[in-house]
Amino acid sequence: MSRLRAYGPFALLLVVLVLVAFPFYWMVLTSFTPREALFRPPYRFVRLDLSLGNYRELLFATEFVRYFANSLIAAVGAIVLNVIAATLAGYGLTRFAFPGKKTFAFGTLFSYMFPPMLMAIPLYILFSALKMRNTYTGLILAHMAISLPLNIWLMWQYFQIVPPSLEEAAWVSGASRLRALGQVCLPSARPGILSVAIFSFALSWNDFTFAFLLQTDRKMFTLPVGLATFVEQTGVHWGMVMAAAVLVSVPTFLLVFFLQRYLLSGLRTAG
Amino acid sequence: MNARAERRAWIFGTTAPALVFLLVIAYLPIAYAVMLSFFKKTAFNPAMTWVGLANYRYILEEPELWNAFWRSVVFTLGAVGLQLVWGLLSALLLNRAFRGLNFVRSLFVLPYLLPSIVVALVFQWLLSQEYGVVNQVLMQTGVVTRPINFFGGLATAMWSVIGMAGWQYGSFATLLILARLQAINPKLYEAAAVSGAGTLRAFWDVTLPNLRTTLIVIALLRGIWMFNKFDSIWLVTHGGPLKATETLPLYAYRLAFEEFDFGLAAAACTVMFVVLLAGAVVYFKLFDPTREIEVGR
Repeated sequence: MSRLRAYGPFALLLVVLVLVAFPFYWMVLTSFTPREALFRPPYRFVRLDLSLGNYRELLFATEFVRYFANSLIAAVGAIVLNVIAATLAGYGLTRFAFPGKKTFAFGTLFSYMFPPMLMAIPLYILFSALKMRNTYTGLILAHMAISLPLNIWLMWQYFQIVPPSLEEAAWVSGASRLRALGQVCLPSARPGILSVAIFSFALSWNDFTFAFLLQTDRKMFTLPVGLATFVEQTGVHWGMVMAAAVLVSVPTFLLVFFLQRYLLSGLRTAG
Repeated sequence: MNARAERRAWIFGTTAPALVFLLVIAYLPIAYAVMLSFFKKTAFNPAMTWVGLANYRYILEEPELWNAFWRSVVFTLGAVGLQLVWGLLSALLLNRAFRGLNFVRSLFVLPYLLPSIVVALVFQWLLSQEYGVVNQVLMQTGVVTRPINFFGGLATAMWSVIGMAGWQYGSFATLLILARLQAINPKLYEAAAVSGAGTLRAFWDVTLPNLRTTLIVIALLRGIWMFNKFDSIWLVTHGGPLKATETLPLYAYRLAFEEFDFGLAAAACTVMFVVLLAGAVVYFKLFDPTREIEVGR
């Protein structure tokens, strides 16, 4: 009994860690497993006959590279527009008093709860009429709908911890407001801006719903939409699918393991 | 330019881009959907005909909307419940100092930030009936005699989807709960111990009350998101088998893109919006997160 008390929590902890980590392990291991072996279960949990064949096939026999490029273009566009809009808004909302701020706060937070499907169906109809489906502009705008509310909120909070006294000192020494903003305020807000860029990237990179509805032309597929077609054929090539899953996850892994401190402030807001 | 005009120009110039984007790209589509729900509009005909409440009458009288609604409720309760239980359990286990805690934290952020497509593909592979490793283990250990068709079976599909959502979002609840646990004053536990409380009693009297707000926030926000979740469910089941996992957003999708009736789809969207609004009102009433902004830090 006393032994159970001592080791019980550790055993449970081990189970928890395995449950979280195993899907990742299995994804990576499968991606390096030769195709023939995947059609011959049972599988071994550790294997050394690894190969890059799945990756080779993914890169040279599918449209993966094109989907990758499309995803990247959408994400970069979303980053640029989000950073501009959210940074300006954060600055304006913290440095000036004006009526309607509370409404703006509510409106921002409320729109953060809007589910993609709720916006995607009407956007599909509107973008069809405007000939904006299957364009990068349309997709980037749609992606802003999911990331901008969070980003405005982040910058709003962030500019509150950038002391206005820094700018005021610059004004005293003769700098204009614009100059003080550019040379004093923005550099101190850099971590906040970086968080905004990271979230814009992640939300755009992860989006399935908007891209699935709006980008119906194969040439305009993003990674999530393209990858979804890999499992719709019969005789799914799981090794290659897992290789694709690994490559799509690489940016996420990098963010989590190298830029975690910028993530955390935003994740707290995200609930 | 005088100072007042300049100040106005600054307020306008800094807030207008964000405001315009929010209005045009988030609020306008929803307003358009609400408007559209009063019209007959199909995918093949650009014309719109006013039909009043006919779309609502149609979908509210059909059992399909209500079936989808209740599936959304089941999925939400299941997924959120699982996330809370998993989050609480794993946070309590992790709430001790050990080497590698930082690594474990990163590991727990990963599922939450991973694209839904990755989670969907990995789970389809893990739970595959023919080649899935989970079925392999279940067979080898003799738990089952025939492989389970997790995402394709009528009885198992919903539970499998709930399990997947629990995995993806639960570990993030772990981190939020863990952060709160570590902020609890240890003196409270000492006091509980002095007054003779055991582990369970201390958990009930000290830990839970301190976690209350965190748990409610997770339940509410996650609830709102899970209720309207489309991508995860669609990717693994397409709403099947036999609509067993067709929740409200999948139902709205089907009306728009498989039955090509945008008016009906818009009415279904409006129903989703009303549910969302109710959740948001409760959240804002309980927490008023905008206070944070005014008080500053």
